[in-house]
Amino acid sequence: MSDELIVIGTFVLSYALIIGYAARLHLRLRRAKD
Amino acid sequence: MNRVRILLVTAAIAVGIGLWFAFTAPVDRLQGEFSRIVNIHAPFLWVAFLAFGVTALASIMWLVKKTRGWDRLGEASAELGVVFTVAGLFTGMVWGQAVWGRAWDWGDARLATTAVMLFVYVGYLALRRATPDPEMRARRSAILGAVAVVQVPLVYFSVYMFRTLHQTPSIRPDGATMPEEMLVALLVNFLAITYLYFALLMARLYVARAEEAVMVDGSLAGDAVKPPRLSEVEDV
Repeated sequence: MSDELIVIGTFVLSYALIIGYAARLHLRLRRAKD
Repeated sequence: MNRVRILLVTAAIAVGIGLWFAFTAPVDRLQGEFSRIVNIHAPFLWVAFLAFGVTALASIMWLVKKTRGWDRLGEASAELGVVFTVAGLFTGMVWGQAVWGRAWDWGDARLATTAVMLFVYVGYLALRRATPDPEMRARRSAILGAVAVVQVPLVYFSVYMFRTLHQTPSIRPDGATMPEEMLVALLVNFLAITYLYFALLMARLYVARAEEAVMVDGSLAGDAVKPPRLSEVEDV
């Protein structure tokens, strides 16, 4: 695997973790409002 | 569009700008492409330190004022601190594998102290979940939140106290150890990711308030079940 691909993958996975956390917050908010 | 949504959208734009700087800045001659990881690795861990500092401040304020808002802030910030610590450790492991030839080393002071810091704050969140009484939960987590922050300076200064694998910081009071273009990219990412933390913190507090509004009388699911009145059973 090329170095560029590993670096891009690291950025993508790191931000995916944070987006996943934000998505979980969104679901909790929807559940609270229902 | 409400305030929290505006914050999240602008934070996403800020992160996008940060990414553009990270991928257009020059790379280190020896580390090549892997040196770009510094643009998220260092800011993620800086934000984790900030988040745990906010938790400590909120914990002390709860112990003084005993108001629900401080307890809510402490929990929200600790949760974000854990997320950013995990992201920081992950990026560090990829970078370490490429540059040091190993992703993890328990003998390294910075890695070991960061892992312990993560475990303690996961414990802080577990403690909150294991304590159903709100007053007791706030008190216990405030004490832990105020004490656990000692790990932040321990993690930061570990690279000075022990000479192991991890390097000392690239940005120091006496200047930076990188060219200006790389430094600008790093500083832009520091600002973007700090702003992202602030936006997520506001979102987390908004969710906490919405959840508390549902349980406005503080009742729990099990409260509807009444204990059996054994004296009446005996009379029959």
